[in-house]
Amino acid sequence: MFRTPLLNFEEKLGANFGEFAGWEMPMSYSSYQEEHISVRQGAAFFDLSHMGRLRIRGAQKEVERLVAKEVSRASPGEMIGPTAFLTDKAGFVDDVMLYKVSDQEFLVVTNAINREKVIKWIRNNSSLDVEDLTFQLVMIAVQGRKIWDFLERIDLPFLRFMLNSKLEGRDVFLLSRSGWTGEDGIEFWSTPDVAESLLSSFISRGIKGAGLMARDSLRQEMGFVLYGEDIDETVNPIEARYWVFSLEKEFIGKEALVDSLKQGVDKLRVGFKLPKKLRVIPRNGSTFKIMGIPVGRVTSSSFSPYLERVIGMGYVDSKHFFLGGSMDVEVRGKDYNVKLSDFPLLK
Amino acid sequence: MSEIKVGKYIVLRDLLYTESDEWVRIEGNVATVGITDYAQKKLRDIVGVDLPKLGTKVRIGESLAVVESVKAAADIFSPLSGEVVEVNQELTSTPELLNKDPYGKGWIFKLRVSNQDETKKLLTAEQYSDKIRGEQ
Repeated sequence: MFRTPLLNFEEKLGANFGEFAGWEMPMSYSSYQEEHISVRQGAAFFDLSHMGRLRIRGAQKEVERLVAKEVSRASPGEMIGPTAFLTDKAGFVDDVMLYKVSDQEFLVVTNAINREKVIKWIRNNSSLDVEDLTFQLVMIAVQGRKIWDFLERIDLPFLRFMLNSKLEGRDVFLLSRSGWTGEDGIEFWSTPDVAESLLSSFISRGIKGAGLMARDSLRQEMGFVLYGEDIDETVNPIEARYWVFSLEKEFIGKEALVDSLKQGVDKLRVGFKLPKKLRVIPRNGSTFKIMGIPVGRVTSSSFSPYLERVIGMGYVDSKHFFLGGSMDVEVRGKDYNVKLSDFPLLK
Repeated sequence: MSEIKVGKYIVLRDLLYTESDEWVRIEGNVATVGITDYAQKKLRDIVGVDLPKLGTKVRIGESLAVVESVKAAADIFSPLSGEVVEVNQELTSTPELLNKDPYGKGWIFKLRVSNQDETKKLLTAEQYSDKIRGEQ
């Protein structure tokens, strides 16, 4: 198992560790619920060093053919994404964030479980040079509705990044205005010692440590997918209603995607909410039912401390895509009524 | 109250335990049941509890309640045979008591014990501490 280079530092802060995608990472510090609320009402930091980080060098037209969103029209310093690498059947190889450094150089953030697969996939499908930066640098996100009450304001629009930048006087390899929580925030890649020094300073100003459990409940409120749970190679972006592609260009999987658009799809991703007092979490694989007839399955679910109810997402047959209506979800042999809601669930 | 510390986990000396991480406090013929500090730390944030109905008759080892955390749903097995005479309704609105005070306000149910002999099958605090150590 891999482990975050910040493990000893975070252990002293009181982190509880667990395994995620083959990495030993902080799952929570005190309580994921408090950490979740910190992001929605204040600010918190996350260690994301498990995420795959690759540098790609070569011809832009080759990158363009791999990625479902348009790359050529973006300017250097722009983040393109979330976007995806697709199979020729339009299933997700991975959903990724692409950073355009120049016409010949890009950075990619992959899901941790897909890092090696993506490296192989890029090499098999292009002559691009791929360098794995994952183990050289840590990745930290600082996220929160009140982030600028805690941090010096950064002159960077949303989904823009700078390389070899300074963050509060320290050298960081990459600094971006981005995140995966639905709140304002930054992400940075740096050496572990720079990260520890910055985090110590952030903590002294009241920014809380948060773990991957809070990250999971935050992304579910926003309706953001998690690879391996909500999407994989058997699901296409239309079924996932994950608009990570542009039809103005050619890319691997486009033909199948266009076929899907023309013919329609059999299933669609939907969000759901349980009644406030019902504290049952339908796990991945739980069945959606209408009048006892199975019509789909749950892929993610969690308790949202902000909405104070159990929420989640899954897929229902497109004939039963009854947004705003209700259906049952079966948990341990019992049926519970849930309301189907569109994303974000945070409304 | 005297306690044994196994790493970061607390085991109280005056309670009995099960292999499945429940604790039992026996007073007369009533047994109060909850989950151990080790169990709550493994489950992490507990968000819900499915409590048994009053009057439920149960045999030793049967599932009687479910504790729901974001990580997993865990069955709570009855450590003894008997009848449910009280449930901790406070857990319905504040399930986090199971994390905050597992041996106190986080108790789950009370049983009128039908067969006192069965208490011999339970683990002592020392035996339970060894069990946790074995799982480290």
